[in-house]
Amino acid sequence: MNRLRKIRRTYGAFTNAGIQDFIAYRANFLGFFLGEILMCFVMYFIWKAVYASSGKTDFMGFSMVDMMVYVFLTNIAGFITGTDSTYSIAEEIKDGSIIMRLIKPVKVDLSFLFFELGNKVMLMTCVFIPVMLGLELYRYFALGYVAFKISRLILFVISISISYLLAFYLNLIFGYLAFFLLNLWGFNILKESIIKFFSGAIIPLAFFPGPVRAVFSRLPFASLTYTPVMIYMEKYTGSELVINMLMQVMWLAIFILISKLIWIWAEKRLAVQGG
Amino acid sequence: MIEVKDLKKEFKKTIKDPGLSGSVKSLFHKKTETVKAVDGLTFDVAEGEILGFIGPNGAGKSTAIKMLTGILTPTSGTLKINGQIPYKNRKQYVKEIGVVFGQRTQLWWDLPLTETYSVLKEIYMIDESKFKDRMEFLNEVLDLQEFIKSPVRTLSLGQRMRADIAASMLHSPKVLFLDEPTIGLDVVVKDNIRKAIAKINKQDKTTIILTTHDLNDIETLCERIVMIDKGKMVYDGSLMKMKNTYGKIREVDVSLFDGNSADKIKLSEAFGLTCEDYDIEKKGTGLVLKFDSSKVNMTDMLNYILKTVGVRDIAVKEADIEEIIRMIYRSEVKLSE
Repeated sequence: MNRLRKIRRTYGAFTNAGIQDFIAYRANFLGFFLGEILMCFVMYFIWKAVYASSGKTDFMGFSMVDMMVYVFLTNIAGFITGTDSTYSIAEEIKDGSIIMRLIKPVKVDLSFLFFELGNKVMLMTCVFIPVMLGLELYRYFALGYVAFKISRLILFVISISISYLLAFYLNLIFGYLAFFLLNLWGFNILKESIIKFFSGAIIPLAFFPGPVRAVFSRLPFASLTYTPVMIYMEKYTGSELVINMLMQVMWLAIFILISKLIWIWAEKRLAVQGG
Repeated sequence: MIEVKDLKKEFKKTIKDPGLSGSVKSLFHKKTETVKAVDGLTFDVAEGEILGFIGPNGAGKSTAIKMLTGILTPTSGTLKINGQIPYKNRKQYVKEIGVVFGQRTQLWWDLPLTETYSVLKEIYMIDESKFKDRMEFLNEVLDLQEFIKSPVRTLSLGQRMRADIAASMLHSPKVLFLDEPTIGLDVVVKDNIRKAIAKINKQDKTTIILTTHDLNDIETLCERIVMIDKGKMVYDGSLMKMKNTYGKIREVDVSLFDGNSADKIKLSEAFGLTCEDYDIEKKGTGLVLKFDSSKVNMTDMLNYILKTVGVRDIAVKEADIEEIIRMIYRSEVKLSE
């Protein structure tokens, strides 16, 4: 308990700084946010055209309303789980400023994580709540009844929190690659594309043929955005829901472990750049 | 307080053949070479002492400091600071040290300066009342008041450095490492920072290791210096002793009527000096002569010069600390005596 309080005190300060940092760059954020919303509408119209030309109202269990919810929810999930940790840690390793973290009595990964959590707190209040409200209103008018379930929202929040941590550690591992490669720009773009495709952010995994879908949904990328979105949309129920959430936890544990191992290795062999 | 024994750090460096073919070759077959950045340092620092740690660029100062601060793990040797081994339990060890890397900042770039201090307050678990007292003291010494509410990115370099020093002192560390704390600052700010460091050292009995290229820092602050070059220690002792021992090198600047006549000066023939005892450098129509005044006294040297060549003007200089160190860096002075 005492230990927990200590952690909260130490790293809570980072979260606080993260919130203020977010506020300092709100204009930048607004541009980013508008761009993402615009992207959502582009995706929406593409799918609308697909549905219209197919002449069906239902495709692989997804109605047009589902698709709308899916597109916006996936983007929101991407927004929440999106993390700069690859970029920020790689940058600090590259220019050697990571030593400024090492001279403080804090864990390097947690200091990054809690700072970003400050950003996420702001993101949740400024983006998540209004967009979800809009989405539910749309669902209500399109379907004619309230499809919203509080239990699904709670499960979604739990699942997306795990997703975020998973994304954070996955990206941290990529960031650590800077110890070996020193410049990650190209790799990072490759990683982004892989995640976008395999996590179902572009095309729902349900649309892939059976065996491919089976493989994709077992990969860690599906745990990132696809699982929480499927949970919210009630596409996962019963044992499927439990299995998929357990998968998330399992991948999270694996990534935390890998990141710890790399860090232990790197700390011993650290060669600081410059100065 | 600080015990360093036979400290060594080796790095593996990849060697790449030049050009594109070299780059491609190094992708498949990496040739490595071991570089000894720090090669057997041994010294102690007592509590409350300010030690000047100097050496030319690339001498291994930074690598040594990074080992002392627990960032790097030594290849071999022992290291004990404040009763702890820096690299063993980094998180525990750094609680009682403060570090300033003059070329980097530990301040939150986009946030007002006060925010950095409140984050540090939590990280180091400083009580509210202690924090207040400490801030008051640091404010008085480093004069932070006028910019404490401004975002760090808007601070001038001098302000930023003062703020950084305050940040490293907030938790009253027992040992303070200052790596080039006056780099890039103007004379007045440098002076203020030196005064602040001296005051902190006096009030808290903080042990300080100071690396710098500005010898005025050393002269005002340090009684003792450790000089390293190519990873090895070349001098350990007081500044006074260094001056007395190596201050015997004297310099004579001579301006001649005829530049070519400089060749007539032959010190080895006139006084039997070996080439280690003197140095002649031609400068336009004049020359700069440095020699060991314990071998030949100044009067004899001047007489000889005036007799041998036509002199327009002559100036005699006592080698200052900077000159001595310059000579040591250029290995003109043997320190093994």
